[in-house]
Amino acid sequence: MNLPAFRLDDGFLAALRAIAGERVVTNAQVRERHGRDESHHPGHPPDAVVFARSTDEVVALVRACAARKSPIIPFGVGTSLEGHVAALNGGVCLDLSQMNRIITIRPEDMDASCEAGVTRKQLNEALRDQGMFFSVDPGADATLGGMAATRASGTAAVRYGTMRENVLSLTAVLADGRVIRTSRRARKSAAGYDLTRLFVGSEGTLGVITEVTVRLSGIPEAISAAVSAFPDLESAVNTVIATIQTGVPVARIELLDDVQVRAINRYSKLAYREAPTLIFEFHGSAKSVVEQVETVEALARDFGGADFQWAIQPEDRAKLWQARHDAHYAAQALRPGSRGMATDVCVPISRLAECILETRADIDRSGLIAPIVGHVGDGNFHVIFVVDPDDAGEIRRAEEVNERMVLRAIAMDGTCTGEHGVGYGKVGFLQAEHGEALSVMRAIKQALDPDGIMNPGKILKP
Amino acid sequence: MSEIFKPARPAAVAEVLVQAKGAIEVRGRGSKRALGRPVPEGLAVLDLSGLAGITLYEPEELVMSARAGTPIADVRAALAEKNQELAFDPPDYSGLFGGRDAGTLGGAIACNLSGSRRIKSGAARDHILGFAGVNGRGEEFKSGGRVMKNVTGFDLSKLIAGSYGTLAALTDVTVKVLPRPEKIRTVLVFGLAADPAVGVLRESLGSSHEVAAAAYLPQDVAQTSAVDLVARAGASVAALRIEGHGPSAEYRCRALKGVLDGRGATEELHTQKSEIFWREVRDVAAFAADPVAQIWRLSVPPADGARVAGAIAARLKGRYFLDWGGGLVWFALAPLPDAGAEVVRSVLPPDGGQATLIRAEAGVRARVAVFQPLPPALAELTRRVKEGFDPDRRLNPGRMFADV
Repeated sequence: MNLPAFRLDDGFLAALRAIAGERVVTNAQVRERHGRDESHHPGHPPDAVVFARSTDEVVALVRACAARKSPIIPFGVGTSLEGHVAALNGGVCLDLSQMNRIITIRPEDMDASCEAGVTRKQLNEALRDQGMFFSVDPGADATLGGMAATRASGTAAVRYGTMRENVLSLTAVLADGRVIRTSRRARKSAAGYDLTRLFVGSEGTLGVITEVTVRLSGIPEAISAAVSAFPDLESAVNTVIATIQTGVPVARIELLDDVQVRAINRYSKLAYREAPTLIFEFHGSAKSVVEQVETVEALARDFGGADFQWAIQPEDRAKLWQARHDAHYAAQALRPGSRGMATDVCVPISRLAECILETRADIDRSGLIAPIVGHVGDGNFHVIFVVDPDDAGEIRRAEEVNERMVLRAIAMDGTCTGEHGVGYGKVGFLQAEHGEALSVMRAIKQALDPDGIMNPGKILKP
Repeated sequence: MSEIFKPARPAAVAEVLVQAKGAIEVRGRGSKRALGRPVPEGLAVLDLSGLAGITLYEPEELVMSARAGTPIADVRAALAEKNQELAFDPPDYSGLFGGRDAGTLGGAIACNLSGSRRIKSGAARDHILGFAGVNGRGEEFKSGGRVMKNVTGFDLSKLIAGSYGTLAALTDVTVKVLPRPEKIRTVLVFGLAADPAVGVLRESLGSSHEVAAAAYLPQDVAQTSAVDLVARAGASVAALRIEGHGPSAEYRCRALKGVLDGRGATEELHTQKSEIFWREVRDVAAFAADPVAQIWRLSVPPADGARVAGAIAARLKGRYFLDWGGGLVWFALAPLPDAGAEVVRSVLPPDGGQATLIRAEAGVRARVAVFQPLPPALAELTRRVKEGFDPDRRLNPGRMFADV
């Protein structure tokens, strides 16, 4: 990265301390931890970490940083996957995890306003007795601010949408310290440009999100899950296409390839057939759930699905989904001492089987171990490379397979990232995918952050 | 007479914007030209209706791409052949504005207009997957794509939706399409006052019966319906739309009636009548008959809908009805020099709500803020975003805000 390195001096440190006192930390260990996320991308520690406690404090901190042209890197709990939090040229990390107050839950409007540091599990815990839940569930217990900034999604996106659909409004501090609040409770139509959506997915490059209002969903009267093995990937994917075609409102459809099923069987002591497998979840009234399962079972059978099992008991369902959520750990357990390198592409669903098969062949040629899981309802899948963290050659081979997979996805009219985002890990692929649109994005960035201090080097090259 | 450019292919749009100097009015079939602030008179016109045609339709993937100037009618016809539809259900305002038809796909996206199912299925902006267009610098660009999930940088599609042609001239649009429900049923509850009616709408939406739309028509609006059961009720009508597979829709309809037992007399509309009824609600048909009435559309928290409508009715002469479970108030009033803007905006709840002046003569729309005025910080950010796309303010200048 050819960014000018920023240097923290005593005067600046004193200015930050005047605002946040002892919550300004320069200890190496804390800086180190804040410079890296859960990805394999190398970390870059910031010069200082400040634990902010309020929007007003963020305003003061941003102003202080702007006066010194110091980079500002917003941080939630650091669970991003493309190096989003790396301080590529130093600067100040704003840790928002202490802004963890749930401000209001409005059951009548089915929404909740939270400070940016509230995590999704914390919110769901608070909602537990109210018959509602917050539907976006990336694997990690991420903060709502971080999830909004990265436009996160999860396994239920096919029915409930991603952060794109579930963030109703937000408060953000711009690079000059100005605070904006986008459309609040009457969220059905913005009175101008949809600035809420512009900030959702902006990865901290346009401002610091300090408050988020999210949509809540009613807990369905009934939930059921089913699992089915298929003779090959095409049959599994065709079942998914047919399911969506018939308008069955499936809540989740996850694909595991045979390697991943083997990993899960070993890790979770299960005995599923080691074949391409779909896991479904159905939400609705008791009657509609039964209808949905029956429809999908018939479709699965048409495509050669075998061992179709229903798991109606909550404990059976929990076991099934726990196994899915543990996919990453299960993959790592295939090879003790290894580390999982997660990847992420999305293609039109008609090309999904083809894209996965070509990728699988490429992986096998490379000699790497890499199970595949996917949110197939959306055409989105992940290869988890199980690599030796100390073997640079192996990591490079995995990166090469990943690069070919990304270019393959783009060539199939897909995208280089369906849910992990760009960070600095995928900056290079953006040009291949977007071409001219990058100059438009750059113009927006320039208009909102002329000095380029907001999370520099992410999404756009400096 | 304004100079009119009517490009026949996408690449020619950029050429027009490079050749033509100064500001330009961007439009499709002109069906919503009277919506928004009037652009200055005498501007050159960029007519995109020549860019028509569906370029990709993959029913199995629920995706369609079309040139921006493709008539909505053509899009609907192609989808209907495969039993699919645009779930955001763009309205046809030809009745309100005297246009030829429902306009173009690009226009529906640019104005972010959505029908009654907005509350369940989302707005136009929730269904756009990608687009191609030309910005004010004459640069062609595209954003998004045709896959359902995409987190590659700024979400420009969402910004374009509802920008009224002030950020880019659209050339191509890709939207998500959905299977058309096999059956539609509408549960009608008669004779409720606005307040308890909104209670019924919200309770129904909160039930597990998957209500797709919820509207309330006071008696004076209900009686204009072309659906007999509604027009002849001699009472107000609260309406709840349920759709899906035949048995499921029927079952949920019965179950919902059970939930609403004792609230008032109920009736049920089947698919065909339901379609007519909801089309009337979507297209604001009840107000179309009066060509001079000024029409407002207010978006408020659903719980405030009845109060807001009542507060306006107490001070201004007019008629109203509610959609989106109470969150959308349509109000038609006898013409006033300021279109009653002060009253209308004064009754909005302090923590949320927007009033848009949908129809009034051009002079009034030039004087009165058509879109809800923005707080200073948002107004400033809006100007900066505009600058990012169109620094010389060439595209539809003033259509949304005087200085944008």
